[in-house]
Amino acid sequence: MNLLTRIALILGFLGHYPAYILAYIIETLIVLIFAVVVVAGMVYFFRKYMARVQMRIGPNRVGKYGVLQVMADGLKLIQKESIMPQGRDDLPYKVAPLIIFIALIMGFVFIPYGPLAWLGTLTVTHSDVSLVIMFALIAIMPIGELLSGIVSNNKYAVLGSLRGVAKDISFEVPMMLSVLAIVMMASATKGISPLDLNGIVQAQNIPFAILEPLGFFVFLISMAARASYSPFDMGESDSELVTGNTTEYSGLRFGMFYLGLFGTIFLGSMILSTMYLGGYNGPFVDDLGFIWLLIKTMVIVVISLTIWLSMPRVRIDKFVTFGWKYLLPISFINLILTGFLVLGGIS
Amino acid sequence: MIEVKEVEEPRRIPIIGSIGGMYTVFKHLFKKPVTVQYPEEKENQGDRFRFRIYLSTDDCVGCTLCEQVCPNLTITMVSLDKENPRNKRKIYPAVNFGTCTVCRNCEEICPTDAIYLKDVFETSRTKNSFFYSPTELEKNEDEVRR
Repeated sequence: MNLLTRIALILGFLGHYPAYILAYIIETLIVLIFAVVVVAGMVYFFRKYMARVQMRIGPNRVGKYGVLQVMADGLKLIQKESIMPQGRDDLPYKVAPLIIFIALIMGFVFIPYGPLAWLGTLTVTHSDVSLVIMFALIAIMPIGELLSGIVSNNKYAVLGSLRGVAKDISFEVPMMLSVLAIVMMASATKGISPLDLNGIVQAQNIPFAILEPLGFFVFLISMAARASYSPFDMGESDSELVTGNTTEYSGLRFGMFYLGLFGTIFLGSMILSTMYLGGYNGPFVDDLGFIWLLIKTMVIVVISLTIWLSMPRVRIDKFVTFGWKYLLPISFINLILTGFLVLGGIS
Repeated sequence: MIEVKEVEEPRRIPIIGSIGGMYTVFKHLFKKPVTVQYPEEKENQGDRFRFRIYLSTDDCVGCTLCEQVCPNLTITMVSLDKENPRNKRKIYPAVNFGTCTVCRNCEEICPTDAIYLKDVFETSRTKNSFFYSPTELEKNEDEVRR
């Protein structure tokens, strides 16, 4: 029993096909609402967490404990005039924030959410290659960043997007290599499709983070660099390049970039906990799977935010050096070690 | 010749220092916030905190010492029609709180203790009208506001 059939059963009085069509639409809506709510909650959580770490109180005026602050900010951004620079390339300028936001929202579809009590499994889609699709979507996001930079006719934006690209190419190769190690590990288990995220979760009797800590380390850093927060925010670097590629954006378009940042942190944490920490596995999987996934994700989110708040920005050449000279060899070593583990039949 | 000793830096293991920094940041999560939510709660002031200048026009003799001692022309003497046998010239200090630095020189120099400061700090005026006439200096904030 999964979410789709559960909704279709409730709508059963409409007849078979209308019920299923409506169920598909409702499920899509649920995923969209979940993604947007999670991203907004992420912004609130970040602001509150940053405030408490800096011994402040944080947002506490709008609503109880400032819960509605994010909504108020969103309303403000929607009302604002969208000021566009002269000499821009119009279509890419308008498409760039959409690319980031849509890729982010689509990423939420392919996560295996696991079962939750009466609702059954919440996983939305079943694809044999969901891992590939997921990383394709993650690889689309830098295109939005690059476009927004080079198209908005601003030297800071160009510099920011060039830095962003230099960052992206230096961490994506190690990231994909560590994912390759995961696929190797999962393919050792019989009867499981190793390119399916759901299959990877089922293969983790022991969480892969224990079996390949090096891969976990590389992937954590890659996800931090993908979301481009503080140690790796050289694409944005607000003290040097105004705000990098988003300099010329205002209003709702800027809001999309902003939500994209926080959404990427949450999505990255979810992928990390799915691939390395056992996803929805845990005691009482059949009832509490989704809760386990959320708990693991929140732990990773807290770690990410702590990294964000405690480290200064890395210089771009240092990060490129770090990516090619350290992360890449580490991920190769990880690959070789995984090969030995798979041959030895430990997984 | 001074011998320059080369001090060996302690060997630093990468990542470990960063994790230490992260732990320090995370530790502060459990500390009490230091923010004071101003209009609702007020921070305790020290016993010797003073801000608002008060004047008792009955005691003032119009000696202009406070005007002379004031470092940034905050106090100016203005004439006020009031019967006071000790103040023949009928001049009293008026204060512009916009420039007052609360140095308390006027309180110190006043021969008759006519000028004194109290710990009231919520003055009733805003935006370029910090000028208090001698009659206003006599009253409390609530009365001035009315």
